[in-house]
Amino acid sequence: MQTVLKADRIKVQFGGLIAVNDVSVSLKQGEVLGLIGPNGAGKSTLFNAITGFAPVTSGQVHFFDQNVTALPAYVRTRLGMGRTFQTERPYEDLTVLENVLVAAFLKNPKRKEAEEVAMSALQKVGLADRAHQLSSDLNLARLRRLELAKALALEPKVLFLDEIMAGLNPPALKQMIEFVRELTASGISVVMVEHIMQAIIELSDHVVVLASGNKIAEGTAHDVINNEQVIEAYLGTD
Amino acid sequence: MNRNYTILLGLVILAALFPVVSSSYITVGLTVLMFTGWASSWNILGGWAGQLSLGHATFVGLGAYFVAIGASQFELAPWWSILIGMAVAGIMALLWGKLTFGLHGPYFTLSTIAIAEMVRLVAINEGWLTGGATGVFIDYLPEPFGIDLFDKTVQYYLMLAYAAITLLITIFISTRKFGYQLKAVRDNEEAAMAAGINPTAIKLKAFVLSAMLTALGGGIYGIFLSFIEPHIIFNLLLSVQIALTVIIGGRGTIWGPAVGAAVLIISGEVFRTVFEQANMLVYGILILVVILAMPKGIVGEYAHRLIRRKYANRA
Repeated sequence: MQTVLKADRIKVQFGGLIAVNDVSVSLKQGEVLGLIGPNGAGKSTLFNAITGFAPVTSGQVHFFDQNVTALPAYVRTRLGMGRTFQTERPYEDLTVLENVLVAAFLKNPKRKEAEEVAMSALQKVGLADRAHQLSSDLNLARLRRLELAKALALEPKVLFLDEIMAGLNPPALKQMIEFVRELTASGISVVMVEHIMQAIIELSDHVVVLASGNKIAEGTAHDVINNEQVIEAYLGTD
Repeated sequence: MNRNYTILLGLVILAALFPVVSSSYITVGLTVLMFTGWASSWNILGGWAGQLSLGHATFVGLGAYFVAIGASQFELAPWWSILIGMAVAGIMALLWGKLTFGLHGPYFTLSTIAIAEMVRLVAINEGWLTGGATGVFIDYLPEPFGIDLFDKTVQYYLMLAYAAITLLITIFISTRKFGYQLKAVRDNEEAAMAAGINPTAIKLKAFVLSAMLTALGGGIYGIFLSFIEPHIIFNLLLSVQIALTVIIGGRGTIWGPAVGAAVLIISGEVFRTVFEQANMLVYGILILVVILAMPKGIVGEYAHRLIRRKYANRA
């Protein structure tokens, strides 16, 4: 399988604070990479560094054999990185459909085609019936799905999902897991930051564990949850 | 599909009939059209792209000065000098934006005041360029097809064409990619970047278009005034008035600038005759009431209500 993403010895430093310290990850086509770790471990920062939303102090990011380390976030999006935000960021003055339309315009400059792509993204996440509602009137769970629809409408090669499972009830969680599985089956590769272990176990081909900015373990989901260092990082030692 | 074009056509026909029906209020009508045009131009940057400028008098002044100096010193026809003025305004906006779009929110707004004030001082003090504080007279204009450009009715129709052009461009943008890119950048720059949009490039495009259209109106205003003084045309108050017109009418809406212009200009005229000395007080109270009761502006609030009602009816 082709390697679609390779982040090599990524370091992100904010003043004296090292948020991510020499972490390397890679992702193959159609695979799911899970990023886990306790709060403040640097998961989201690593995620932002790869997608271009946080400055990299040292290290390199390669996306399909292209060095994208110096490229701004919007160029990485155009190359095929689609992402969601942990805190929902709707365009509040626009309707649900228009929110997704903004993303769909990237690959479809014509309104009619863009609208079709946006509608089908909304259908996939189950928001089609709310297409004409103002996005500022959506509740939190639906805003989360809107985030996902926006990322899908970009027709990305790699999808970066930042805690999309958080706060979902069991049936909704199951649905979301199934949904991500279908995405990967269609050839999209996924990087996900997630606290919900059920999702990590069911979906991840590979898991990387971060603690205090360092990579402390990696492997399959079962490898890492039985790893003593990981248990220690989550629960502490006695 | 877009009934806004039909509404525009209807409004243009109505406005075109106005001088035939009533010749006494032609200057009021002209002023409403002029502010509709300026406010629509400002709205592209201040409303759609969300970059609040208090320096647009600069572009009004540029347009007016190019017409005046072109006519008085080079006997240049106004259509050429307006085109040059628009080009200069566009280039200036490009440089201005490159310099200041690193600033966000109120800081960008403050920088627009600073630059506009600098331009005003240059216009007052560099007499060799602008005629200095005494201003410039337009004493001669060509007569294309025998049309007298000094005639009020002719100027009214010029302003009508101007207002119609700015509205036409706004409607055109509103359903297209560019319009949505503008709104995305306004509502959330990071989310816009995640949609592949370069926020600075979009804001620059908006600023250039906005400045050029403002200068177009400024050029026609120059013909209307036929005497241009730098401290009046480059005045901060004019910039504020243009911004206020859109804020009252509805930022980022198609019809907000036109509604704002009609409400502010007409009520200003009425108050001046009815309330005499107290007219500015009443004017101020009106603005305050609209802003407090309708923070999105008259058309902005209505548009939101319409979307909600449509959705409720479907569901």
